Amino acid sequence: MMKSEGITILDWGKVRFFCGEVAQNFSRNITMALTAIGTVTISIVLLGTFLFLRESFDLVMSNITRQVTIAAYLRDDIPPQRLAHVVRVLHADPRIDRVRFMPKKEAMRQLRQTLRGKMNLDVVNSNPLPDALIVHTVTPDEVAPVAQELAGLSIIRTVNYSRRVTDTLFKAAKVFSAAGLGIVGLLFIATTLLIYNTIRLTVFARQREIHIMQLVGATRWAVRWPFVFEGVLSGLFGAALGVGLLAAGYRYLAPKLTLSLPFVPLKLASIPLAHLAVELLAVGALVGMLASLFSVSRSLQAA
Amino acid sequence: MIAFQDVSLVYPNGVHALSHIDLTIGRGEFLFLVGSTGQGKSSLLKCVYREVLPVSGEVTVDGRPLSALRRGQVPFLRRKIGVVFQDFKLLHQKTVWENVAYALQVTGAGSRDVLRRVPRTLELVGIAHKSKMFPYELSGGEQQRTAIARALVNNPLILLCDEPTGNLDPETSSEITALLARINTKGTTVVVATHNQAAVDRMRRRVVRMINGRIAHDEERGHYHIGLG
Repeated sequence: MMKSEGITILDWGKVRFFCGEVAQNFSRNITMALTAIGTVTISIVLLGTFLFLRESFDLVMSNITRQVTIAAYLRDDIPPQRLAHVVRVLHADPRIDRVRFMPKKEAMRQLRQTLRGKMNLDVVNSNPLPDALIVHTVTPDEVAPVAQELAGLSIIRTVNYSRRVTDTLFKAAKVFSAAGLGIVGLLFIATTLLIYNTIRLTVFARQREIHIMQLVGATRWAVRWPFVFEGVLSGLFGAALGVGLLAAGYRYLAPKLTLSLPFVPLKLASIPLAHLAVELLAVGALVGMLASLFSVSRSLQAA
Repeated sequence: MIAFQDVSLVYPNGVHALSHIDLTIGRGEFLFLVGSTGQGKSSLLKCVYREVLPVSGEVTVDGRPLSALRRGQVPFLRRKIGVVFQDFKLLHQKTVWENVAYALQVTGAGSRDVLRRVPRTLELVGIAHKSKMFPYELSGGEQQRTAIARALVNNPLILLCDEPTGNLDPETSSEITALLARINTKGTTVVVATHNQAAVDRMRRRVVRMINGRIAHDEERGHYHIGLG
């Protein structure tokens, strides 16, 4: 930038020099540049596949756990005012999404439907089923505490929410989520190290140039900038290629996946793919930048 | 302009390169450093552009003690100093013009400044007619002229030359030495480490002989064999 009569204007000569340097270095070290880009691409494909699987798993888990409801069976002969009061209180609870009263008649009808052809309930003259409240929580995490509180109410006889299944699912989801974060972290570090090594080779090939830059009085940042910019570009190119491959793979595989796993509640359309793509591009650029920065900083120390 | 006060330099591998050097070089002076290989000439020059830091003593350049210089200030010291080497250290993928302009561009000079100063400097060293050629298309002397132009383009106060004629034939060597003398007449302090006896004896400038990292002799209007009996 240069200042002219108080207005800051861009010195195109400097911009041309900077871009020319970057372009020249790219073309001169084309093999190295392609290696760096290829490394980023492979890493991004791995990372993207893993992130996609993680998103899918989270989606499946949230779909399964969202279906978990609490059935709170009522004692007999509850005064209607008392029941209405409890329902009002439950409606007001921010953790609770929906509350529905299920009279014993409806419960019997549902039971008959469920057992049709399997068991003959015509021999049962009376209806032994109790009235119930069917409660849906806002998040699956709140099923257990809400169920416990319901069990403590005087109008409730017993509470059922398939505790063992939901607890196991929650635990599995949490373990997978934590392990996923760890694996994403490790992949990120591995990618950075791989690209660091590749870029280090290109920096090493230009040690002489770095030395000359320092001899003529270039500041450390003036030396670093072109390398950092090249690193970001390599990272972005590599990530864009990786995202392209992932998108192609997704278009080809996603319909097959949905068809072959019909019992899994996997709604792929709800995975934020554009968001994932932007994240991967940002990771590519960041990794390229960090790797270049570390490589050139080591060379500056050596020079 | 340059002052060494009791300067000693030991490299990390334990080699004692300089021992108790006391030397003052005035503004606009021309000085030859002589001595056989490994006596400390290059190490002395490296102390001036702060490629290395002495283990004791102080080097002062243009009134500034270099030991007090922070790492971030070193580039600004180097902009006051031009350095020329025996192997030229040119960038082979750049033309003569680009090599010289590079020294300005990486220090953040504006494009107008580059366009004004590069042709003038190329003219000064007599290489303007080859400005579009690449280093591998030039003779040794022309490459050294390019290197000198790159060292001069920032208008340095000091020009340090480490064996500038070591790779050149006698005729080209004398042309390069004459060029250095001409640059000196414009006020630039010039220090030349050399084995070029003919140039030293012809010019009869100040000569400092180094032996085992010490200054053995220092003589105004000296000759190449001072101190050798």
